[in-house]
Amino acid sequence: MVSLRVISIGLRSLFRKQQVDRELDEELRAYLEMAVDEKMRLGMSRPEALRAVRLERGSLEVTKEVVRSAGWESFIEAFWQDCRFAARTLLKAPGFTAVAVLTLAMGIGATTAIFSLIEGILLRPLPFHDPDRLVLLGDHLGGRPGMSVTAREIAAYSSATLAFSALGGYTTASFELSGVSVPEQIDAARLNSQMFSTLGVRPILGRVFTAKEEDARQPVAVISYALWTNRFHRDVQVIGSSIVLDRKSYSVIGVMPGDFEFPLGFGHLYRSQLWVPLSLTTDELSDQHSGFWGYHMVARLKDGVTLLQAAQDADRVARQNMRDFPASLSAIHINGDVRLLRETVVGEVRPVLQTLFLAVVVVLLLACVNVSSLLLVRAIRQRREYALRVAIGASSWKIIRKSALEGVLLSAAGGLLGLAFAAITIRTVLNLLPGSMPRVNSISINRIVSGFALVVAVCTSVLCSLAPVFAAVRTNLIEALKEGARVGGSASHTWLRSVLVVTEVAIALVLITVSGAFLRSVQRMQEVDPGFRADHALVASFQLPLRQYPTDVAVANFNRAVVEQLSRKPGVTATAISNTVAASDVSPQSAFTVEGLSAEHWTLKFAAFTSVYGDYFSAMGILLLEGRTFTVHDDSHAPLVVIVSQSMARECWPGQSAIGKRMHVGGPQNPLPWATVIGVAADTKVPRDKPSIEQWYTPMNQPATLYGAGTPGNLSDPPTGYITLRSSVDPGSMIRTLRSTVAEIDPLLALEDVQPVTEDISAIEAPRRFNTELITAFAAGALLLAITGVYAVMAFSISQRKQEIAIRAMLGADRAGIAKLVLISGAKIALIGCGLGTLGSLVASRLVSSFLFGVSATDPLIYLACVLIMVAMTLLASTLPAVRAASADPMEALRSS
Amino acid sequence: MTPEKPSDLVQGTLDMLVLKTLALEPMHGHGISVRIEQISKGVFRLNAGSLFLAIQRLQREGLITGDWKPTENNRRARYYALTEQGRKKLSSETREWERQVAAIARILEA
Repeated sequence: MVSLRVISIGLRSLFRKQQVDRELDEELRAYLEMAVDEKMRLGMSRPEALRAVRLERGSLEVTKEVVRSAGWESFIEAFWQDCRFAARTLLKAPGFTAVAVLTLAMGIGATTAIFSLIEGILLRPLPFHDPDRLVLLGDHLGGRPGMSVTAREIAAYSSATLAFSALGGYTTASFELSGVSVPEQIDAARLNSQMFSTLGVRPILGRVFTAKEEDARQPVAVISYALWTNRFHRDVQVIGSSIVLDRKSYSVIGVMPGDFEFPLGFGHLYRSQLWVPLSLTTDELSDQHSGFWGYHMVARLKDGVTLLQAAQDADRVARQNMRDFPASLSAIHINGDVRLLRETVVGEVRPVLQTLFLAVVVVLLLACVNVSSLLLVRAIRQRREYALRVAIGASSWKIIRKSALEGVLLSAAGGLLGLAFAAITIRTVLNLLPGSMPRVNSISINRIVSGFALVVAVCTSVLCSLAPVFAAVRTNLIEALKEGARVGGSASHTWLRSVLVVTEVAIALVLITVSGAFLRSVQRMQEVDPGFRADHALVASFQLPLRQYPTDVAVANFNRAVVEQLSRKPGVTATAISNTVAASDVSPQSAFTVEGLSAEHWTLKFAAFTSVYGDYFSAMGILLLEGRTFTVHDDSHAPLVVIVSQSMARECWPGQSAIGKRMHVGGPQNPLPWATVIGVAADTKVPRDKPSIEQWYTPMNQPATLYGAGTPGNLSDPPTGYITLRSSVDPGSMIRTLRSTVAEIDPLLALEDVQPVTEDISAIEAPRRFNTELITAFAAGALLLAITGVYAVMAFSISQRKQEIAIRAMLGADRAGIAKLVLISGAKIALIGCGLGTLGSLVASRLVSSFLFGVSATDPLIYLACVLIMVAMTLLASTLPAVRAASADPMEALRSS
Repeated sequence: MTPEKPSDLVQGTLDMLVLKTLALEPMHGHGISVRIEQISKGVFRLNAGSLFLAIQRLQREGLITGDWKPTENNRRARYYALTEQGRKKLSSETREWERQVAAIARILEA
């Protein structure tokens, strides 16, 4: 109650200062007049009375001050005055202020931008209910860390595990969405009915599907907020309407909230737009399909169950599952395991983001040091003013407060500008993020990020103010006044400045060695032979709707039409269709058995297979090392043939030619027909910084290689494919030819990712380049800051020593000698800084070594190059002040002081 | 007889004296200091600074209120009056003061 009144009265005097002051004035004047009247009644003259009153009652001016400064609001007022004073002083030096604010804005902005990535990707909880209890449940297969299950296992795990309160299964899918506007291939997922409840999410509109609907194979779909917005313009009538997926009608029953994203962890290359019931087909549940680990499970841990207990429970069920495997899988051993869902989503990008954050914090630190040393130089220049003010009674606290306030104001301005800068950066960087970065759409400048920017601004203001405050505290009144014209010569301040600059050089060196190692890694990656020629090649992907292409024959007709018609176009030198392009560890893979190896010696190993139609090896420019390529005669009537990669040939048939050897898909118990090796091709590698995996190729016209003699003519999965095309002209100019040719064959078919192979490859290799570019940008920023720091300090110290240098010149020191003097002090800074920086780099090398490729984090050549760059730049920064010192007219210098 | 030099107030008693003065009738700043001097027979002489500080403090605590009114000499002055809260405060302060004075007296007489 009382405190409220105190505050309100205080606020009144703060905001209606003039009125309050006037009232006080009037009251005191009345008081004075009454006192004087009284004295005059006693017979005094007016001047006598005035004097008497002042003697008795004290000066009314002082009273006014005392009363005014008694309330709490007077502190704020004084603070406000100090702020205005500091702002005025800063505005009087616009150059200094602009440099300082911009430096801080860059530092704070970059830090905030990187933090917004960290907040959106790492810190924000997954968009599910109590996400920390969610785990990914799956099998370890042949020592591989892949966490997936087979179609049959979904039911087995759901019923037999005890550690989970809910389990859901899903698999990714892709549909051609048509019927609303232009047909489009969209990412989707098939979920079983327990999936939504396991995640604990509800639709914002309508409902999700039920177990009954899943079992009855109802064509119902739950759509994403984005799809609802983009395709249906947020029309609530969408519920109950129908959409066409793969040319089959589905009815929309629900819309998920905007932040819902599932499955997570694929980056923006795959983002599910709608969810349909899993409704496993009899084909998917058949023996033949039972070796396909293409499904995933997410489960919720029961209260009190630990991750380890859950893993043991899963492994127990996995052993039961193994017993139910068909004979063809009897050689396969699996282990059940669980991993926190969050880890599977962001675990891989965490170290990269952390490293980037560290790097950007280093840049921010440098920005602080630079601004701090600028403030310090100012403080030193103003020392005489300070000393004078202290001498006439200002408290040194007041002077410190003013110095600190300058830092606070600069940081506040820098913080605001930095936030704006971060907002712009985020908008542009989001498009540049590598496709593998998960949860990209949760990145934004929100309250947390803004709060972070505020905290950073406060911290920088403290850091920036440290040095000048320190200088102000150490100001020796007498010395400062006595020094006369020579300001700033005091040993402690020179020492402080040198420490700041040496620190900058050291920190910058750490970042540039790290960036050097990253750059060299990219270079090493680019030196690696990918095994194919990406230039002059074009690629496009498509997915044939099952309705229109239900049989192998229909697909084969499509393939033949595409390859034949494209080959006839001018400029096209080779065309092919394949199920994958430039096989890598994300390509379809399969276990395999080599003839002559007994079942006991067989171990589960995977190789990527590429099923090709047309002249794939020419179209991709893959070198054939031995044997022959496929011809049109390698069809379903001819003996089965395969081409293996060099590394597979070496692994399976060491020391002998692979040609003529035989192999088949799956384990030794699998009754699949043998295929004969007819050629050995070079290994393909995408991305080039990952070890290549074993690969083999099969003609698309011989599906028996993959599916055995019992191949049904009807397909169960919509066939996905890639068209590759090699041209004698720029591949970009062939895009139109490719599109129009395919449109002639199937006008409704959506072609996706039509681009030169070079672009496809660079998208896959983007993460390494992205990290490298960011780190290099930060290193460049750090270098720039360090160099400007060195320059500022050098220029200042020269201007301080103008007289000394002039006297030396008068006494006969030659100009070269003077310049040398300056350069030597620059070299000292460079060498000490580089020495410390090298030590710092050695520490940092442990942190970054896992991100490097083909280069050691402590590569002496990189260190040498970076040290040379640093020394050269430091000397360069000292050169200008040195030249200026040497060319100054001594008389001028002496007179100007 | 030379008057004794005015004494300094016992710490913390000024507020109480101002309240007591205002308990009789509303009064302006000068009137308060004159009355305190008169009643104390010149023992306490108030400096303007201390007086107006006390007035500001009491006002902020809601113990007194101020109103501009004309004086008997046709000047305008701010007259202060006790609030209900101020009255309560005065009686409790007075009791407390008497208790303390009695205690001190007992100690000094012992």
